[in-house]
Amino acid sequence: MTLDRTLAITTRIIFQMIRDHRSMILIFLAPTVVMCLVGFTFSDQEDTLNRLAPGLIAAFTLIFTFMLTGVSFLGERAHGTLDRLLMTPVGRVDILVGYLLGFAPFAIAQAAVVLLVTVFGLQVHYQGELWQAAILLLVLIVVAVNLGIFISTFARSEFQVIQFIPLILAPQIFLSGIILPTDQLPSYFQVVAKILPLRYAVDGLQKIMLEGQSLSGVATELIILGGIALALLILAGYTVRYQR
Amino acid sequence: MIFMENVTFSYGKSEICSGLSINIPTGEIFGLVGASGSGKTTIMRLLIGSIKPHYGNIEILGKQPSPSLCKNIGYMPQSQALYEDLTVHHNIDFFARMFGLGEPFHRRQVVERILDNLSLWNQRNTLVDKLSGGQRQRVSLAIALVHSPQVLILDEPTVGLDPRLRASLWNHFYSLAKEGVTIIVSTHVMEDASRCGQVGFLHLGRIIASGSPRELMTRADNSSNLENAFLYLLQEGETK
Repeated sequence: MTLDRTLAITTRIIFQMIRDHRSMILIFLAPTVVMCLVGFTFSDQEDTLNRLAPGLIAAFTLIFTFMLTGVSFLGERAHGTLDRLLMTPVGRVDILVGYLLGFAPFAIAQAAVVLLVTVFGLQVHYQGELWQAAILLLVLIVVAVNLGIFISTFARSEFQVIQFIPLILAPQIFLSGIILPTDQLPSYFQVVAKILPLRYAVDGLQKIMLEGQSLSGVATELIILGGIALALLILAGYTVRYQR
Repeated sequence: MIFMENVTFSYGKSEICSGLSINIPTGEIFGLVGASGSGKTTIMRLLIGSIKPHYGNIEILGKQPSPSLCKNIGYMPQSQALYEDLTVHHNIDFFARMFGLGEPFHRRQVVERILDNLSLWNQRNTLVDKLSGGQRQRVSLAIALVHSPQVLILDEPTVGLDPRLRASLWNHFYSLAKEGVTIIVSTHVMEDASRCGQVGFLHLGRIIASGSPRELMTRADNSSNLENAFLYLLQEGETK
């Protein structure tokens, strides 16, 4: 890995993103609109909203970051620029870390919008420290970026990336304890839930925001989420050179 | 310099090239000539190492294609593969950094020299998205040249260029070859083929004839041009 190459990829992505004014507006507008919609839906059911909020914050962070990365990386593959990039001495780690750092500011901004709109806009009651919730979301963002890169290998168009949302993300929303606690799921779904990254993000955020626990109280969730991020990073690394 | 011996490659059951052998010395411009689907791009990808042959041996600069050879090879793909939302300068500068030209002052000199050489100076701050086809081709070539490679692999480099631009690009190729750069050009345009030092006629993944354009025309019953020579040798190969 060379720092200059990684930084060149990172700055290129940031430059391209900033230049795309419409996407920049949507990056901030979409999570705001979605979270406001959620808030208005549960305006008369404060307790339900308080209970759902941590799960929704985690789920929307995963969805938005996955889409952002998946579609962008697919563009790199489809336009042949990834092939061309791989014809240079750049390493796979340079590419992955460059992408991760390039998307991180926008993914963090989106997660911050989701978190701040939920907490301050919707006046959701919470315990614990918000910065600790933000650290957990940061690890989830790493998972989502690597998941986006990995899944883009199997898509040939932006439309197909979107099709992966019901396949990859919808089961996580239903089985990660947002709607129903995982221990109340059928036993076979409880097994499936154990490999879903969103489940650990939801568990962790619920512990911080609903039970007031600190990062040490969610160490298990953080370690598992970090492990999933690393596994997806390795998988994404293998698929970077994959030719469709 | 570039050496392929008995190379075979297939996509699934479809054999793209079979028993292919090519030997190109240093400083030569070799034209790989064939119709669409004859296997030109596959051979280019075999040479750059993005796909591996099932059988046979490939050597470039005495080594098998591998990521470590990248810094000695310039590759211009058929699809221009450029960042459309970046300027001409940014595209070339980005790939210069990927090739390890990290020192900003030196890199700036290299990029500016290439912009000048390829007549792209006036477009340096233009988004690639706004360029004409010919200008994009030149940006793509600039990226292939930015690290001063010893071997240049160009997949249909003159497609869509007007005659004046084509002639100017060929002059650039000649001066590179004079400096010792080995160039392999794939094309289906006979006018381009006639400008190469050596030509290999490709049909269904096999070299049916190779030599200088003049030699090939002589061999093809003294054909008046390279196109007739190609058709003659193709027919001769089929009747055998």
